Amino acid sequence: MDAHGERLLAQYRERLPRLEELRSRVEGLIGHALQQQGVDVSSLESRIKTEHSLAGKLERKGSKYSDIGDITDLLGVRVITFYTDDVDKVAAMMARCFDVDWGNSVDKRKLHELDSFGYNSLHYICRLPQGTAPEELCAIPFEVQMRTVLQHLWATINHDTGYKSDVQIPRYYMRQFSRIAGMLELVDDEFSRLRTSLADYRRQMLSLVASGRLDEVELTADSWHSYLETHPFDRLNHRIAAVNQAEIFPAQLEGYLPVLRQLGMKTLGDVQRLLEQESDDAYLLAVSDLAVTDLDILSESIGLQNLCLVHVLKMGGGRAAVEYILDTLGGSGSNTALAEAILQRASTLPFMQ
Amino acid sequence: MNTKITEQNNELVAQFEGRLDTAAAPQTEKELAPLADCAGKNIVLDCNALEYISSSGLRLFLGVLKGAKAKGSHVYITGMNDDIRNVFNMTGLTNLFEFR
Repeated sequence: MDAHGERLLAQYRERLPRLEELRSRVEGLIGHALQQQGVDVSSLESRIKTEHSLAGKLERKGSKYSDIGDITDLLGVRVITFYTDDVDKVAAMMARCFDVDWGNSVDKRKLHELDSFGYNSLHYICRLPQGTAPEELCAIPFEVQMRTVLQHLWATINHDTGYKSDVQIPRYYMRQFSRIAGMLELVDDEFSRLRTSLADYRRQMLSLVASGRLDEVELTADSWHSYLETHPFDRLNHRIAAVNQAEIFPAQLEGYLPVLRQLGMKTLGDVQRLLEQESDDAYLLAVSDLAVTDLDILSESIGLQNLCLVHVLKMGGGRAAVEYILDTLGGSGSNTALAEAILQRASTLPFMQ
Repeated sequence: MNTKITEQNNELVAQFEGRLDTAAAPQTEKELAPLADCAGKNIVLDCNALEYISSSGLRLFLGVLKGAKAKGSHVYITGMNDDIRNVFNMTGLTNLFEFR
């Protein structure tokens, strides 16, 4: 190493105690901010660059730095989130906690071409704001890396197997890394979407439960309407639709209220139990019809309709009960033959044995 | 497949005859175009002579329903045979229409 490099290493050794103090403060501040905002992260980790690692860097590009203060990653902090949305949330928190050097910060997520996939991470170069710590600490830059667990997984494996290899990695394997990066990006987005959907569902259910547990919420036009806003039958509908890759046409399910009441449902809890207990058989009944056709458009009521039919069939309601449901839902007066056909088909299914 | 639209008792009546399948759907769609002008009138889809309906046919019926609802009109289906009634039932579409 040249004399310039040796001088920077000496500055580094001198700076080490302050780096340790800075590390402790920064980790504490980030940990506190995450806790305050209720952001669960997979991990919050930090490291001070080792002398060995710094020496390697100085040997490679030491002339780039005139002073140890020019090296911005002597202290590195990494916040690993579970969700992509939280990366941006954490980034906003960092911008409030620290002075961010925007000129040297980089969002690797935005560096990719439209058709390329790879390292995704957000890197901020930060300093403690003046007045919040001794001046010599506020002068030291540090790097905060923010990424999801899956981005971290990819980066770690890619780094270990790619950059550290002493042989040239063939294009085929590099492409495999890119493909995996693309897939993980999709998975990250799906996790975020799932979390948002679950949060919506929870909010809606909680508002119902707030007025009493589902078993205590009387089945009325209002409560039925609120319950439908949680899209409780979507999963069953999509399961049925998958048989013929069918499109699902929106439908009003308010008309089912009299049917459900006739079936003895008195609370939303009763409806929820119907859904939980009869979904598999409703699916079987629907599929016994659809699987032998190429019908690829279904009403959003398909799941609920079959739940009601299964319920009356299992209760031994027979043709008259099936006909009642068909009559109530439309087409009154001419459903005798259809009810008989449904009864015949259902009689071959396991739940009727 | 034949489709005829007439006006009876201030209602627009579309009479279908034959098999409303994928092949027949484009022509039938053109023939149903006058139903878009249904303001103030209800629509009757007369299926007495309709032998078969496919997903394409169901989509045409749903298109008529959508257009009519937007104009405040009702759509009634009449004269379905057992097979067609079964198609409406197994797709859950029974719930969307009114029947006579």
